[in-house]
Amino acid sequence: MAARSEAVYPVTWKSGRVARWLVTVDHKRIGIMYIATSLFFFVIGGILAVLMRAQLATPNESILTKNSYDEVMTMHGTTMIFLVIVPIMAGFGNYLVPLMIGARDMAFPRLNALSYWLFLLGGVVLWSSWFATGGTAKAGWWSYPTLSESQFSPGHGQDYWILSIHILTLSSLATAINLVVTIVNMRTRGMSWMRLPLFVWAMLVYGILLLVALPTVSAAVTLLLLDRQAGTHFFIPSHGGSVVLYQHMFWFFGHPEVYIMALPAFGMISEILPIFSRKPIFGYKAVAFSTVGIGFFSMLVWAHHMFTTGLGTGLDSFFMISSMVIAVPTGIKIFNWIATTWGGNLIFDTPMLFALGFLALFTMGGLSGIFLAAFPVDWQVNDSYYVVAHFHYVAFGGVAFAIFGGLHYWWPKMFGRMLDERLGKVSFWLMFVGFNLTFLPQHMLGLLGMARRVYTYSHGGLWEWYNLTSTIGSGVLTIGVAVFVANVWIAHGLRKGVRAGNDPWLADTLEWYTTSPPPEHNFDSVPYVTSARPLRDLRRRLAEQT
Amino acid sequence: MLLTFVGIAVLVAAGVASAANGGFTPPAPHSPNAVKTNDAYDVILGFTGAIFLLVEGVLVTFIWKYRGRGRSRTDEGVQVHGHARLELIWTVIPVIILCVIGLVVFYELPGISNAPAAANPLRITVEGHQFYWQFDYPNGARSINDLYAPVGQVVDLTVVSSDVIHSWWIPELGGKIQAIPGRTNRFWFKADRQGTYTGQCAELCGLYHAKMEARVIVGTSADYTRFVTSTAKTDLGRAEFQGACATCHGMQGQGGYGPNLASNPLLTQPSALASIVRNGRNLMPAVGDTWTKQQMQALAQYVKAHVYTGAAPSGG
Repeated sequence: MAARSEAVYPVTWKSGRVARWLVTVDHKRIGIMYIATSLFFFVIGGILAVLMRAQLATPNESILTKNSYDEVMTMHGTTMIFLVIVPIMAGFGNYLVPLMIGARDMAFPRLNALSYWLFLLGGVVLWSSWFATGGTAKAGWWSYPTLSESQFSPGHGQDYWILSIHILTLSSLATAINLVVTIVNMRTRGMSWMRLPLFVWAMLVYGILLLVALPTVSAAVTLLLLDRQAGTHFFIPSHGGSVVLYQHMFWFFGHPEVYIMALPAFGMISEILPIFSRKPIFGYKAVAFSTVGIGFFSMLVWAHHMFTTGLGTGLDSFFMISSMVIAVPTGIKIFNWIATTWGGNLIFDTPMLFALGFLALFTMGGLSGIFLAAFPVDWQVNDSYYVVAHFHYVAFGGVAFAIFGGLHYWWPKMFGRMLDERLGKVSFWLMFVGFNLTFLPQHMLGLLGMARRVYTYSHGGLWEWYNLTSTIGSGVLTIGVAVFVANVWIAHGLRKGVRAGNDPWLADTLEWYTTSPPPEHNFDSVPYVTSARPLRDLRRRLAEQT
Repeated sequence: MLLTFVGIAVLVAAGVASAANGGFTPPAPHSPNAVKTNDAYDVILGFTGAIFLLVEGVLVTFIWKYRGRGRSRTDEGVQVHGHARLELIWTVIPVIILCVIGLVVFYELPGISNAPAAANPLRITVEGHQFYWQFDYPNGARSINDLYAPVGQVVDLTVVSSDVIHSWWIPELGGKIQAIPGRTNRFWFKADRQGTYTGQCAELCGLYHAKMEARVIVGTSADYTRFVTSTAKTDLGRAEFQGACATCHGMQGQGGYGPNLASNPLLTQPSALASIVRNGRNLMPAVGDTWTKQQMQALAQYVKAHVYTGAAPSGG
C-alpha cells in the first residue's frame, strides 16, 4: 500500500491524519477549517445569547450578574461579528472562489494559511480573556471610549479585546488581498466579468470593502490601546481628546462591515435561488452591479449609527439621504430574486427553504432600517431593542439564514455526502419560527422604551410578555440549530449520508463539474466557459449529442 | 411559510388586543417634538407596511403558484434572463417612495429639532453620571434623577457628561440625545400635561446602565417654583443618597454591590465622606466629582440622620 501511494505522492509526516490539516495550503482544507471554526464560535456565541435571553425572560431576573451580563453581551456581539460571520464568509470564499472560477487554488496559498491561523489565534485571544484579570471586555462590541478607557474599564479584558481585533483585522486583510487577486487574475478561459458567478462578484466586493474599511478600525483600536497602555489621550476629553472621533473611526469601518457580512450572503442567495427554481437569475447585470453599488454606498453611510451623537442637521441629513440611497440597490436585489422564482419549477430542498426564508426575513430587516435612516425617528428608536431586532433580522434572519442555506447547498460538494432532507426541513422550520418569536417582539420592546444592553428591567405587563416570548423563541431557535448539528452527526458520524455525485442539484457553476469532494488539484480539465451557466451548457451539449 | 405568517399575524393581533398601544408605535407623545416624530413614524410605517405586505404577498404567491409539485429537477422553468422595463420600474418606484419619505422627514424636522421660538425657555442642564442624572436649574438649585418642569413651557436642555457617554431618553417627550464627555448637546421638550414621565439611559455606560433611570415630573408653574426655591434644597441629601449612593449600597445603606454603609462611622465624618464621594475609591466611581460644597453638606446631614445606624458591635 505504502509503495503504491509513494509512487504518486511521497508519504511524509505531512500526510498524517492531523498533520495534513495543520500544514495544508489547500484552499479547500483552509476553507473547511474556517467554516468549522466559525461554526464552533457560532455555537458558543449562541450559548451566550441564550444566557442573555434567560436573564431577560422575566423582570429582575438574577441568572446572570450585571457584571457577567455585560461580559456575555460584549463577547456575544464581538464573537458573532468577528469570529462567525466575517470568517465563515472567508471560509466559503476560500472554498468556493477557486472552484467557481476554475482555478487550481487561491493566488497566495501560504498567505491563505496564515489568514486562517491568525483568525484562530484572534479567536483564542478573545476567548481567553474570560481568564484575564477583571474578566472580558464589558464595553459592548463598539467599545466606545471613555467607557473602554482604563479609568472606567480597568483590568485586561479590554486589552485582550483590542489585541484580538488587531489579529483578526490582519487575518481579514490577508484574505481580502488573496480573494481580490485570485478573482481578478485566475478566472479560467472564457470566464469574462459578465460570466462570473454572482457569489464571486460578492466576494470581490467583500475583499475590496475589507481593504478599505479595516485600516480605520485597526487605527481606532490602536489609539485606544495607546490611551490605555501608554498614557496618551486620543479619546479622553478632559485632556483634549475626542470621544466622537472614535465613533467616526469605528463606524467608518462598522457600516461597510455590515455589507462585508451581507454581500456574500446575497451572493449565496443569488446562487441558490436559480438552481432550485430551475431558472437563470433574473437580471444578472442588475444583481451584479447592485452588489458593486451597495459596496460603494456602504462607505458613505457610517454616521447613521451616530444620529444621537448630535452631529447637527447638515450631517444628519446627508447620512439620511445616503442611507436611503443604499436601499435602492438592495431593493433591486430583492425584487430580482423574487422575479427569479417567477414561472419556475420550485424545488423545496433545504437550501431553497433557507433562501426563501432569507427573502422573507431580510425584507423585514431592510424595511425597519428605513425608520432608522430617517434621523428624527432614529432619535426615538435608536439604541433601543428596536435596533436589536432590526440588526438581527439583517444579520441572523438575513445573513445566517443564507449561511445555513449555503451550508446545505455546498455540503455535498465539500464532504461528498448529502445531509438528510427531512432533518434539514425540520431544522429550517424550527429556526424560522424560533427566529421570528425571538426577534419580532423586540421591535415592540424598543418602542415601549426598553434600551438595549440592559441587564434587567423592572416593568411587568407587556414588557414581560414580549421578553418571555422572545426567550421562548430563542429556545426554539436553539433546538433548530441543534437539529442541524444532529443532521451533520448522522450524515458523517454515523455515515448515514447518501453519497453525492459530482452534481446532485443539477447546478450551473463550475464547482459542480469536479468530484465531491474535489481532488487536491480541483480539476483534471476545465471546460471553456461560454456563459454564466457553464454546467447547464455542458448538460445541454451532452443531451444534443445523445 | 403561510402558516407561519398566520401565526405571526395572530401574535401581532393578540399584542394589539392586550393594549391600545402594544408597542407598534412609539408611546403616546406629550411634547410637540415627540408628536412630530410620531407623525413621521406613522408615514414611514404606512409606506413600509404596504411594501412589506406587497413583497411578502408576492413572495408567498409565487412560492405557492410555482411550486414544483414533484416535477423532475431536469424540468426547467421559464428561461427568462430579465426584463429591462420591469427592472427600471422597481428601481424608480422605491426612489420615489424614498423621496416622499425624505420630504416628510424634512417637513417635520423643524418642529422636532427647533424649540418654538416665541416661548421663554427654561434652561436646565442635564449631566449624566455613572449612574444617575443630575439637573441644574437656573436659580442654582440641583436635583438628582427627578427633573421638575412646569407644564406648557419650553424646557431647553443642555446635555453634558462628566465621565462616560450616556444618552438622555424620555420616550414620551421626544427622542434621544447622547450626553458626551467634552461636548455639549442640546435638546428640548414642552410637556403638554402634568404627570410623571419615565425613561432610562440609552447608551451603555457601565455596570448599572440598566438602573440609570430618570423621571420628568411635570407640574404647574407654582409646583415648579416651589420645588426649585425650597424643596430642592431640603430634599437634596435624600435625592443624592437614593440616586447616587443607594444604587450600589442599598436604599438603607445595607449593602449590595457595594459594602454595607449603615454602620460605617465614615458617614459621621463630613470631610472624609466628601473626599471619597468626590474622588471614588477602588471600584467606586467618583460619583460626586462635580458636587458643590452645599451638596456634600446635604449628603452628610442626610446620611448621618437617616442611614447611619451606629457603629457595628465589636466582634460582630
